[in-house]
Order: sequence, then C-alpha cells, then structure tokens
Amino acid sequence: MVGLSDGEKRFIHGGIDQNIRSDGRKRDAYRPIFVETGVIPQANGSARIRMGATEVIASVKAELGKPSALQPDKGKVAIFVDCSPVAEPMFEGRGGEELSTELSTALECCLLGGKSGAGAGIDLSSLVVVQGKICWDLYIDSLVISSDGNLLDALGAAIKAALSNVGVPRVNVAGGAAGDEQPEIDISDEEFLQFDTSAVPLIVTLTKVGKNYIVDATTEEESQMNSAVSVSVNRKGHICGLTKRGGAGLDPSIVLDMISVAKHISEQLINKLDSEISAAEADED
Amino acid sequence: MASKHGAPPTTYSPSPTRKPHQPVFSDSDADWVRPDGRGFHQCRPAFFRTAAVSAASGSAYAEFGNTKVIVSVFGPRESKKAMMYSDVGRLNCNVTYTTFATPIRGQGSDHKEFSSMLHKALEGAIMLETFPKTTVDVFALVLESGGSDLPVVVSCASLALADAGIMMYDLVAGVSVSCLGKNLVIDPILEEESCQDGSLMITCMPSRYEVSQLTVTGEWSTGNLNEAMQLCLDACSKLAKIMRSCLKEAASASHS
Amino acid sequence: MGLPSDSGDLSSEMDVDAYRRLFPTHFYEKHLSLSIRPDSRPLGKARDTTLALGAVGSVDGSALAKIGSTTMLAAIKMEVMTPCTESPNEGSIVIEFHMPPICSPIVRPGRPAEAAPVLSKQLSDTILSSGMINLKELCLIHGKAAWMAYLDIYCLDADGALFDAALLSAIGAFSHLQIPTVSLTDNGKIVVLLDEDESRKLGKEPVNSGKKKLTINNIPFSLTCILYKNYILADPTAEEESIMETLVTVVLDSSARLVSFYKPGGPVLAYMSAIQDCVALTRQRVKELQKILDEAVSGMEVD
Repeated sequence: MVGLSDGEKRFIHGGIDQNIRSDGRKRDAYRPIFVETGVIPQANGSARIRMGATEVIASVKAELGKPSALQPDKGKVAIFVDCSPVAEPMFEGRGGEELSTELSTALECCLLGGKSGAGAGIDLSSLVVVQGKICWDLYIDSLVISSDGNLLDALGAAIKAALSNVGVPRVNVAGGAAGDEQPEIDISDEEFLQFDTSAVPLIVTLTKVGKNYIVDATTEEESQMNSAVSVSVNRKGHICGLTKRGGAGLDPSIVLDMISVAKHISEQLINKLDSEISAAEADED
Repeated sequence: MASKHGAPPTTYSPSPTRKPHQPVFSDSDADWVRPDGRGFHQCRPAFFRTAAVSAASGSAYAEFGNTKVIVSVFGPRESKKAMMYSDVGRLNCNVTYTTFATPIRGQGSDHKEFSSMLHKALEGAIMLETFPKTTVDVFALVLESGGSDLPVVVSCASLALADAGIMMYDLVAGVSVSCLGKNLVIDPILEEESCQDGSLMITCMPSRYEVSQLTVTGEWSTGNLNEAMQLCLDACSKLAKIMRSCLKEAASASHS
Repeated sequence: MGLPSDSGDLSSEMDVDAYRRLFPTHFYEKHLSLSIRPDSRPLGKARDTTLALGAVGSVDGSALAKIGSTTMLAAIKMEVMTPCTESPNEGSIVIEFHMPPICSPIVRPGRPAEAAPVLSKQLSDTILSSGMINLKELCLIHGKAAWMAYLDIYCLDADGALFDAALLSAIGAFSHLQIPTVSLTDNGKIVVLLDEDESRKLGKEPVNSGKKKLTINNIPFSLTCILYKNYILADPTAEEESIMETLVTVVLDSSARLVSFYKPGGPVLAYMSAIQDCVALTRQRVKELQKILDEAVSGMEVD
C-alpha cells in the first residue's frame, strides 16, 4: 500500500479538483501509451504496453482443441493474468492471487460478452475449423511487470494489441471423416490468417476521487479513490462490459454519467491505440 | 462400496442432455413466454427468513423459485493471527455450492469469483469502523442453483448481517437482468441465463439510492443499459421492502 | 474473581449467563444433580425431531432432518456406472458428509472440519453394513450398467448429535428416492425416459419399468449419549458435547438388533451397566424415530 502523508493526500485531491494532476495531466488525459508487438517469439501473438510506469505483456497462444458439446460451433478463449511479485511486493502470495483473479474475471467479463456469445469482442465462431470436432483454443496470458495504477486498461489494451498481432496457421482438412471420427488435418506453416480485432473493445476505467473522476489513475491516485468503474467500449460505441471496484456506493445517475464520459473518452483512445498498434506492427516488419 | 476396489468407477448422469439447437428463446418469437410463465419484468416470489442457523451470530435463508441459499455470519471475532493490525474491521466472504446445486453433480467447491463479488457488494454498506481489529465472516451456501444466484446471495447476506447485529448504513438488495434478443427479462432462471446475450447485475442500497456493485456483460447500447438499470433499481427497492418486513417480523416475534 | 472451587458461592451473586460461561462444569453439575438439563429436558430425553422429505428439487431423493437445532440436508443423485467384475449384478452407494463453513463457528473455508471425514466413514459403514439397501436392486443390466447412488449430506446447523441427525436425513432421502425410468440407447448409453409416450415413440422398452422405489429393510436408527460421571445424557447439544467429552453412539435397526456401536475414547470408562442403559435409551428412541419416519413417508404419499 502507498503510504501518503496528509499533505500529499491534500495535494492530490486539490489537483484533481482544479483539473491539473500531480504529473501535469488533466482529469481526462491518459499517460503516453507505448506499444510494442511481437515481443514473445514462441507465442502466436504478443504485445507489450507501457503507460507511464505501468507495464504489462500479453501473449496469445492458439492450440487446436475440441469444441465443447454444448457449443459445437464455437472456439474457446481463456484469459489468465499473472501479477508478478517483481512489480509490487504486495503481489507476493495471496494478495497477488486475489488481484489476478479479480483482473482476469473483469477481463473475461469485458471481452468475452454474454453466455450466448453475443457482443463478444473475439468472434468465437471464427475459431471453429470443423464444426463440433476441431476448433482453436486461444490462451491469453498476461503478465504485470511493473505496476503504477490502471492495470485493467493497460491489460485490455495489451490483449487487443496482442490479438491484432496473432497469426493463426491455416488448417487444411483432408477429406470428410464420417461419424465420430476425427478428420485428418494439415497445419500450414506458411499461410497465416490474421485476426479481425476491430470488434475487440477497449477498457476505460474512471476513478472517482472526491467529486471528480479521472482516467488512467496512478497508484497514488488510486489509493485515494472512493470507487472506480471500468467500462469496456467497442468501436460502435456500445458497452461490452462493466465492473465496479471500491467500497463506496455510487448514485445511479453518476454511474450513467461515468458511462457516457467513458464512451466519449474511448473514441479517442481507440483511434490512438489503433495507430500505435499499426506503427508497432510496421516497426516489427 | 466402490472404494473397496480402488478408484471409484467413472459414472455419468443419465439425464437427457438438451439438444444444443433448442434455444429457450429465438428472435423471431414475437409472443415468446418465459419458461416459468412470468412476465418479462416480473420477479420470482421472494421468501426470506432470518435466524436459520442457531450456531451463527446471524443468518438468513432465501428462496427465489428454485434458487435456495443460506448465509451465516460469524463474528465480529478475532482476525487470523497472520493478519496485521487494522483500525477498521475486516470483512471475509465465501460462497460455496453444494454438490447437488447444479444439474450435473459438481465438486461442491468454493466459488472464488462470487466470493469476491459478494465482498465488493457488501463492503460499502457495512460500518467497518465499528469493529476494529476484528473480522466478520460471511459464509454463503447455495443449496440449489436456479439462476440469479449471486444477487440472491447478496440480498440474503445483508439480511444475515442485520440479523447478526452488524452495523450497516443500509440493506443491500441485488437484482439481475438478462438480455435475450431485444427483450430484457428480470430475475432470470438458469435456462434463461444459459442463453442470454448479455446480463446486468446491480446490488444497491435502496434507502440511500446508491449502487454498491454493478457488473455488465455482453453488448449494450446506452438506451438499453439505462432501461435495464432502471428496471433493476425499481426491483431492488421492492425487494428491500420485503427484506425489511422480514426483519420487522422477526424482531416483533422475538419481543412478544 | 474467585477460583473455580469457590464458584459455588458465586452462583447466587452472578448473572446466569456469565456463570454458565465462566464455570460450565459447575453450571452443568448443578443441573444434573437435579436431573434436569439447561434446556429443561430430562437427562434421557431427545430434542424435538422433524423429518421433511423432498426438500431439494434438482435431485432424485432428498430429506431435511432436524434434531433440536441440528439440521441436516441429505440428497441422492443417481448416476450410471459399469459394475465391477467381482459383483456384476450390484450397484453402489457413495456417501459423503459435508460440513460447510455456514454450519458452525469452528469450520473455516479452505480448512475442512476434522469431524467430516470421520462421520462420512461412520455413516457409510452403518448404512452399508445394516443391509438397509439391497445393492442388487441397483443393478440395471447384468455386468453392463448399474446405478451409483451419490448420497451427499450437508450439515446446515451443527448443534450436537451430528451422527444421529445425519443418519436420519440419509434414511429419509432413501425413503424419498424415486428411481428414474431409463432405457438403453443404440450406442450403449443409458438415458432417462421422460414419460411413457416417449418410450413408445422411440420404440424402446424401459430397462427398469416398475422399479421406482427401493425396498428398505432393517432401517438403522441411532442415539448418541454422553457419559459423565454416573449420568447419561441422551442427544447432547454442541455445548454439552464440548464440556463433557465422552460420547457413545448406539445404532439399532427396526427390529432392535445392534448394527453398530461407537465409543471413541473419552475420559469416562463405561461400565457394562451404563452401556446397557444407553442401549435401552436407544431402543426407546428407535420407536420415536420410526414413528417420525412413517409420518413423513405417509405425508409424502398423500401429496
């Protein structure tokens, strides 16, 4: 936990009230975002995101698997988050475990859509190779390397960048197999399919400090929060998921206001991140 | 006994697995009715009872249709030895399912996700500063899962806390809404939840008109989201009335 | 505050609840010498007992048993297994006893109660050795398919005499058990037939028509007693169990034959006469419990 003196606390509160935060940002300004893709050669896709002193890595690994009996026309996606004790001594042991589950639950809620698969950022039916028999399983692993607040937004952005970096090998199905038999397949090592990530939402977390809300809070600012609302918004401006943190209750009208502010901010953020991702991809080539 | 011969044999449930392409709901269905015949905006009848477990400081039982939960509250009692000093109280939540809660026999394990959600939904309502250095344990057992489990657990837990005499700012009532195609259905049952396009759960403190926890999954337009929130909030305040009358009854029964 | 030996004098000056907490043994001895217990029961009397069948909807058989405030919920789920080669015409029963954290302040999540596995073992030994269920009735197709009955007993409120309540709920669940009608599919799987129409439509004969209920013989009933000095206390509460540690559990079947007998150590060594007294108390109790079970079962048939 951050130990802050009363003076420091007052400084943070005062700054936020006057729309100029400790590091000179306005309330609705993100820290500069640095994106680097293809950082892990073994993975099918990976990305590193840095926002100020917050740094996370996401990697996507695709493996062939069998669709579940209940949803034979869909692939599977699993999201894991690991909070390394390197980033923060607090992450060691149970503290890190709890945060990891909290973050991965929030990411699943924000990226995977409803039970029927509607509104999912990742189109699960595009992962199917042979209906009911073969599909791609995506394992999204992310690692928090350094933590200075706003982990959820950074993780969301890193996963989006990693997904756009994914090349899934083309699979050729040799002949139709009858009945219960598994068809023979041939995995191409030359042709790769790109993934459409335009529908993948971004997560914007608004942290309420005093009466105002700020985006991209640092750890110091987060320690002063009453509550925080993370909204995931896609390019169409639809809300794809929402979670709340922090103990204090919120008036419903404030929640709605926070959602509309988050939507507004996400428009700029999505464009900015897209250009950063394409720049990073160009660098890699 | 099976264990006599080493590992127990593998078994399977003979129940007919519902065909995957037999949705409870399809978009074209103009006059679709809910499986249990309720209106879209009608909640299941709620039943609450406090003091269900004598061994606990406070407890409550809740039944919404087939969803049945028991919550026990223990404490305030000594925090675990390893815990550091804290001048506010701690809240410890745990949600467990019975092995027969779900249609397929499960392991009866802890539900970590719900445990942390329950914690987040309750912590804002409890006056933690009234029991420094100690812990209040809130343990929930889902006897039968019939849909909308988490909101029922949250409402039941706040009643159990009240029964235990833990100081709170307000009761916490939880309600969820499922989005099925264009329709919003309140208080969904298990079948509806399994094919929902999106869901929204609100736990709120009705007298203070404050949202203590809110989760949304699936894709929502702002208009839809507003409507769903309003539905939930209205249902929460109705639910809170039932909860309050349950507490009043229990109090007057113990006086007389 | 005086030493415990002085407490005799303090009892008139102190608040009853305080005295009860501070000098529990003296508090109890005062009661026992008057042949009465703090909850106003005579020593040999069990608490009010109720049994409700069919408490859980999602299973094949269930029952809720209450002895005083000790509450047990038992539920049976039937699954299909391939019987083992040694007994190709027998099904099987797996009994698990759970103590979730809600039932008692002693149990914490992540650390299962020590008593739970012990009681699981005692319960399955008792139920299987009593011959209450004929495992051959659980057979579906000789050597191919048989029922595996999963009996899960959850302690919802632990206030002493856990074994008695758990056993009663287990018996209730078996009495309530409705075995689903099943048939064999072409690929060798057993599936439930929802109604007669369906079986006609599929052209499949049910494998086990007319076998909806198990025949239950020699029902075991139990009574737990505390031995303390020369006193015998039937059906102890959790408080009594924690103060006076010597427990004796007697299990008799409906024709009053001894099924099992547990005396897991404890500071009091029992004379033969004390054990005979315990058995006599249990014999009384069996009659009560049999009546409660009969009432619960007939209540179900009316519905």
